[in-house]
Amino acid sequence: MKNRLKVLRAEKDWSQAELADRVGVARQTIVALEGGKYAPSLPLAFKLSKLFQKPVEEIFDPESGD
Amino acid sequence: MEKAINPTTQAVRRYILEFGLSMAAYAVVLCASIFLFARVNGVWRIVVALLPIIPVGLVFAAGIRFLLRTDELERQIMVISLAMAGGATALLSVTYGFLEVFRFLPAPSAWLTWTTFMLAWLIASFFVRRRFR
Repeated sequence: MKNRLKVLRAEKDWSQAELADRVGVARQTIVALEGGKYAPSLPLAFKLSKLFQKPVEEIFDPESGD
Repeated sequence: MEKAINPTTQAVRRYILEFGLSMAAYAVVLCASIFLFARVNGVWRIVVALLPIIPVGLVFAAGIRFLLRTDELERQIMVISLAMAGGATALLSVTYGFLEVFRFLPAPSAWLTWTTFMLAWLIASFFVRRRFR
């Protein structure tokens, strides 16, 4: 699933590990998310939405599929 | 601000601790089982032979707890690779079973199923993990 995570993370100047710590997942999960290889669970999507203060659909593109 | 420990790191640490303790218990119980086996008779021999299953159960429980505590992608990788390993083991068991029925192969040790499953899990984990990189 395509998303804007990499851009949003860069805006905050966070590393992948830092973002992973902030949402309580492994860095590997952030790598897979940014690469569009993995679609997050609903709770993780909401955590990211809250962290970046953006609606889920602004972070993830639902049209791009899995 | 104090840096919080990542829940996934915590899950790995707890798993290593629980797995280590379970394996230590396994080593102790296995030694006790070997020592006692020659010193008991009858049904007690079966009981003593099966004693190491208790710490093996603890290893299994540690694995399940890790699966439930770890982060969602790791859990997905584990579940997919376990399913693939289970399927591959079943397929290989049935294949071997047919060859056994028609007397092409001898009845194998029950350990072969365990070894096949663990090997299949290892191979499946490698390929499933690669899919998410």
